[in-house]
Amino acid sequence: MKKSLLLVFLFLTTATFAQKYYTKTGLTEFKASVEAFEPVEAKNNSTSAVLKVETGDIAALLFMKAFNFRVALMQEHFNENYMDSNKFPKATFKGKIEGFNLSEISDSKEYTLKGILTVRGVKKEVTTLAKFTKQGDKLRLQASFGVKPEDFEIKIPKIVSKKIAGTINISLDYEFIEKK
Amino acid sequence: MLKKHLLIFCASLFVLSNVTAQDDLLSELDDDSVDTSYELPAFKAMKIGNLQSTKMADKGDFYLIVSHRFGALKEGFDTFLGLDEANTKIQLLYSFWEGVQFSLSRESYNRTFAASAKVRLARQSSKMPFNIVGYTTINRNTLIDETIFPALESNDRNSYATQLLVSRRFSENFSFQIAPTYVRENLQNLNVLPEANHNQFAMGFGGRYKISKRMSLNAEYVYNMSRPDGSPFDNSYAFGLDIETGGHVFQLLFTNAQSTNEPGFINNAEGDILFGFNIVRVF
Repeated sequence: MKKSLLLVFLFLTTATFAQKYYTKTGLTEFKASVEAFEPVEAKNNSTSAVLKVETGDIAALLFMKAFNFRVALMQEHFNENYMDSNKFPKATFKGKIEGFNLSEISDSKEYTLKGILTVRGVKKEVTTLAKFTKQGDKLRLQASFGVKPEDFEIKIPKIVSKKIAGTINISLDYEFIEKK
Repeated sequence: MLKKHLLIFCASLFVLSNVTAQDDLLSELDDDSVDTSYELPAFKAMKIGNLQSTKMADKGDFYLIVSHRFGALKEGFDTFLGLDEANTKIQLLYSFWEGVQFSLSRESYNRTFAASAKVRLARQSSKMPFNIVGYTTINRNTLIDETIFPALESNDRNSYATQLLVSRRFSENFSFQIAPTYVRENLQNLNVLPEANHNQFAMGFGGRYKISKRMSLNAEYVYNMSRPDGSPFDNSYAFGLDIETGGHVFQLLFTNAQSTNEPGFINNAEGDILFGFNIVRVF
């Protein structure tokens, strides 16, 4: 009887105090540049992400309008004409790091990251390799993958289609710290 | 027996809490993230029609703006709907610092040279409901001939306008702006005006409605509060269509003012409807 009470207590604590790592200043970058044309690329350094250690579940969220372009007018057109950022302010990712085991990351280790990326309300499955690096209390995730504008029903007028890459490279660099 | 039940109970609890925790991972992020970025600009171009808008050049952006205002439409085929009487303005605009914009221009109307400055005071975001911009311009009339008016002093050629532009993008498609304005004219033509009134106050109203991603309908009206009775001039209005193509904004409009400068259209709108356009090009 006492044993089972202990078990209940144990289960409850693990459920409520599941170990999580998080960041609010994750860097998400995209590059859609075509050589010989003006670079089309932007950085978002306020991506929030959370990682559940036990299960390897991961989620990330960013605001489209927080993407910083070098040319401000390009940023305006990105939000207004391509991403409909007022209608779809967020992009989210929800997925899993397969076989994730925090204790086996001594220096750095690669895992398969699989999940659903939602941009402009359109879902797309993404699979890529994610590199985890342990730096003191910090856990760093780096990954990159490619998507196409048509994956998210982004219409690009013919007149500019030559200046925007067919495959857009997205790279992530998130430095997680333990959530207490 | 009790032990078994308890075990099942807590096992199911564990599974349940895990399932909900998984679903909550994203909503957990959703709950404590706020979009602190600025709202997109309320207008596509630096003008709504004639009236300045809160839109500004971004740092390092260089703009060339060419404006035409033709003669009154009612002149019909004599002037080909006013096309023979074009007032042409060429304006160069640059931003050296974020939130500050300068421009130099010359328009045919009174052969006016103008310099202007625009400074952003606040920008709409989740924390700030309005865009607030200060605007000021000095105009110099170089048409008046000193041989005809020997008493003319250099200072008489100048007129000034200062505006506070307050706008809000209420929704994706709808934006509205008010513009309290002060205009100073050093010289006034008492042959046409009942009395001199060098300092005038006006209130501008303007809005836009986006009809597609790259097009919007714009309209504005400026109410001049200091216009003396019997003045031949009217309050100015403008309405038209903005077409944005990336590097260009084309503004096709109808207005009742020939001048595109603030002292001109706010104090001296002639009243007959005419066609005009602004072409805004960024480099």
